Amino acid sequence: MLQSKNKVASLATVSIKKKRIGNLAIPILTVCIAAFGVLMVYSASFYTAQAEYGDAFFFMRKQLIGFCIGIPVMVGVAFIPYKKLQKLKWVALAVSVILLALVFVPGLGVTNYGATRWIGFAGMTIQPSEVAKYGFVIFTAAYVCKNPEKIKNFVGILPILGVGILLCVLIILEPNMSITMCMGMLMLSMLFLSGVRFKHFIFLMIPVIVAVPILIILEPYRLQRLYAFLDPWQSPQGEGYQLIQSLYALGNGGWFGKGLFHSMQKFKYLPFAESDFILSVIAEEFGFIGIVCLFLVFGGLIYAGIHTAAKCKDFFGFLLASGITAVYAIQVVINALVVSGAIPPTGLPLPLISSGNTSLIITMASMGVLYNISRGEKKKEVAV
Amino acid sequence: MKKMQIYSSSVIRKRLFAFLILFAFLFILIFVRFFYLQIIDRKKLLQLATEQWTREVPVVASRGNIVDRNGKIFANNQTAYSVFVRPNAVEDKEKTAESLATLFGLDAAKLLEKMTGKKVSEITAVRHISKAQVVKLEGQKLSGVYYAKDNIRVYPFNNTLSQVLGFTSVDNVGLTGLEKYYDKFLRGINGEIGYETDLIGVEIDGDFYYKPAVNGLNLQLTIDYDIQVLAESALQKVYQEYHPKSAQAIILDPNTFDVLAMANYPTYNLNDIPRDDAELLNQLARNKLVSDIYEPGSTFKVLTSAANIEEYIRGNPNAFAPEHIFSDARTRTVLGSTIKCWNEHKDGKHSHQTLADAIENSCNPIFTDIALALGKDKFYEYLQLFNYGAVTNIDFAGEAQGMILQKNMATLADLARIAFGQTVAVTALQLACATAAAINGGYYYQPRLVQNIIDNTGNIHQKFTPILKNRTISEEASKMLRGYLEAVVESGSGNKAFIEGYEVAGKTGTAQKFENGALAQGKYVSSFVGFFPARQPKYLALVIVDEPQGAYYGSVVATPVVGEIFKGIIDLKNIKPLK
Repeated sequence: MLQSKNKVASLATVSIKKKRIGNLAIPILTVCIAAFGVLMVYSASFYTAQAEYGDAFFFMRKQLIGFCIGIPVMVGVAFIPYKKLQKLKWVALAVSVILLALVFVPGLGVTNYGATRWIGFAGMTIQPSEVAKYGFVIFTAAYVCKNPEKIKNFVGILPILGVGILLCVLIILEPNMSITMCMGMLMLSMLFLSGVRFKHFIFLMIPVIVAVPILIILEPYRLQRLYAFLDPWQSPQGEGYQLIQSLYALGNGGWFGKGLFHSMQKFKYLPFAESDFILSVIAEEFGFIGIVCLFLVFGGLIYAGIHTAAKCKDFFGFLLASGITAVYAIQVVINALVVSGAIPPTGLPLPLISSGNTSLIITMASMGVLYNISRGEKKKEVAV
Repeated sequence: MKKMQIYSSSVIRKRLFAFLILFAFLFILIFVRFFYLQIIDRKKLLQLATEQWTREVPVVASRGNIVDRNGKIFANNQTAYSVFVRPNAVEDKEKTAESLATLFGLDAAKLLEKMTGKKVSEITAVRHISKAQVVKLEGQKLSGVYYAKDNIRVYPFNNTLSQVLGFTSVDNVGLTGLEKYYDKFLRGINGEIGYETDLIGVEIDGDFYYKPAVNGLNLQLTIDYDIQVLAESALQKVYQEYHPKSAQAIILDPNTFDVLAMANYPTYNLNDIPRDDAELLNQLARNKLVSDIYEPGSTFKVLTSAANIEEYIRGNPNAFAPEHIFSDARTRTVLGSTIKCWNEHKDGKHSHQTLADAIENSCNPIFTDIALALGKDKFYEYLQLFNYGAVTNIDFAGEAQGMILQKNMATLADLARIAFGQTVAVTALQLACATAAAINGGYYYQPRLVQNIIDNTGNIHQKFTPILKNRTISEEASKMLRGYLEAVVESGSGNKAFIEGYEVAGKTGTAQKFENGALAQGKYVSSFVGFFPARQPKYLALVIVDEPQGAYYGSVVATPVVGEIFKGIIDLKNIKPLK
């Protein structure tokens, strides 16, 4: 009895030490993945960049800049106590909503590929929906934390739903179906993890399930994409083209891949090879083995996130950590399923790897927060 | 232990664990999906992908040459090039269209229209251009434009042997004649060069492969160029003299049935084919000797004579002996139908005739007598032995089989006429072959135009040896027949083919043409089938003149043509006269 008590005590000491250092796997894996991303953006884009911009390093340089900004941001955020975010719930929400709304301001909104998803200023473009995902996580975590008992009844959930739906509507209007889906899944994840009653949770699932077909029917291009997904070979030059090209890349990869820089599909065959479909190029150059290794790394980061949440004694920290992890994990999974043709194609980046600075910097920053959570709170350490 | 404690410490920790399990499950799903695509489905995907990555430039196989029996080239290839455009890879379509139009004299607007068409990945800008033009094209360095070798079929002798050789399409596919019949040997197999390119066809530093072309095989004909030219110029002469619709000549080696010459006049230039006028082309390109039938007239009497002689030798009591004197009457009446001799039988003409005399005089009623005496069954046996009413199986497409009344349909009146070549239609080839089979000792071979197929190293790939179809009559009967036919030229209707010391033998033929079931007034087919030397025939010629103007007897119109051809052959081959 006494012996076991000592054992617990000694374990506690170890855990205190660990907490101070935090889970170094989070920043290390993040930097490794992002660095790999820079390399892959180059590999996937040098040919088209040379052809279109006369500069093989066009996309790679941008990504490198994002990476270079991302590291200090991540490090900086890692030293800001995450608890401060709890007070910023309204700020986070307001920033998210304002940025999303700015997209619709003429002159500020930037339209690409028929969707207005970016706002531009000072020669830079940022994608507000990337910010909004984290804004929602912060808001929800802080809201639930304030009075955890509230969400045990249905009325208490409504503010979260309201905010979630507001953000979803703003993102749908861009339109950006994939981020909307992400946001919906994030909302469900957050509600699930914050402890809403199971029957409420099931009840909430229903409108989500109903919403999907309605949203698809509203926009004919989504229906076409669905057809293309069900049988891409029906229109190999039309709607099915992108998926087919992605599958070709995967097929060409085989077990071990063609080797770095040796993808054939990046020679203009595969659209968005450096962004949404970069995983196809990775699969082509590094093969199935490479994909398994890469996903083990992704899995390691996700596990580190969940582990951080699990270890966090603080409910806000728990929700924030699991929310950040959920944002990352959901995107990884959806992107992989899209690229392999398991779900209909949507434009969603592979976080930390796909070309796109907003996503890269914000994701790295979120990992900084996650690391901060893993370090624990000084006060509590002292208390122990 | 500790982890478990933490996870189970509350509902929320349980849910976090469920969350972890969910993502672990999703990751496994992703692995399965990637495994399926990258490993199991790989072959199929890779095959499809490879198709899209590579662009092929054809390597055109050279079509085989056609040469005469002595190696003279009748058909070969001239190196040329074709220019292709891949619109996707063209930088400036208007400028490219303009440049190509200027270089090759094309319509720039049309070219541009073709290039801007969305569905095509490749268009052919121009075909059959010269090396010099290609050099000019290379100088322009136009992106998306490339060229490939694309031979032009050429016929060095233009009009010679045109109907037999036939011609090819612009894609070098045999359309008529030997070009068609032997196309599978001549055409070869095209190769290709495959390059890896990007989506729009711009070459990348990828793999490429080269599949060489397999050139076509060469044909060595039985035709003798010199004899062919002789025949054609003789036909041209008779054409100019008698203005017939057409004239044909076939020359065989009666010992092998090798076709030494096969000439149709008028002819046309194979290097300048009237492709736009299908009817004219069809008319000119037709090898009438093989594909058309005609009523032979008296040349058919060779068969009736041969049948009688053979039957006599075999002891058939119905056959007439060589010394038998036939009736002097000009007419015979069979089943109410009257058969007349062309001659009036006055002033002692066509009197006291033996078979030899009858052949010399070409006296129709005598042959009626023979056919009726031998009977329908026997006579039809000989028709079959001499292969009338059936194709000869010459190596040429579109052979007609002639028209012989079916045995059970033929009346004795029909038989009486068939005996001297009426109410029967044959091809010139059939008649030449049947005659050869009667005078060569009685051997019917399958006639042929090609003797060897030769590969590109000069070795024989396939040899066609003469095929004996059947015996017709005995050596003895054949010898007798040759004597009778020699007399025709020496002192009978064939005397215009006589050449001192060369034992020319033969039989004339003059047939009135039938049109729409009635005799056509003034329309005749004049013919002569001759051979020499009579004691051991080496050459056999049949000349047919269709609707000659001014004169119509075979003896007048066709016989001199054969005589001229034979004289030409004697000079050409330096044949010494027999003593």
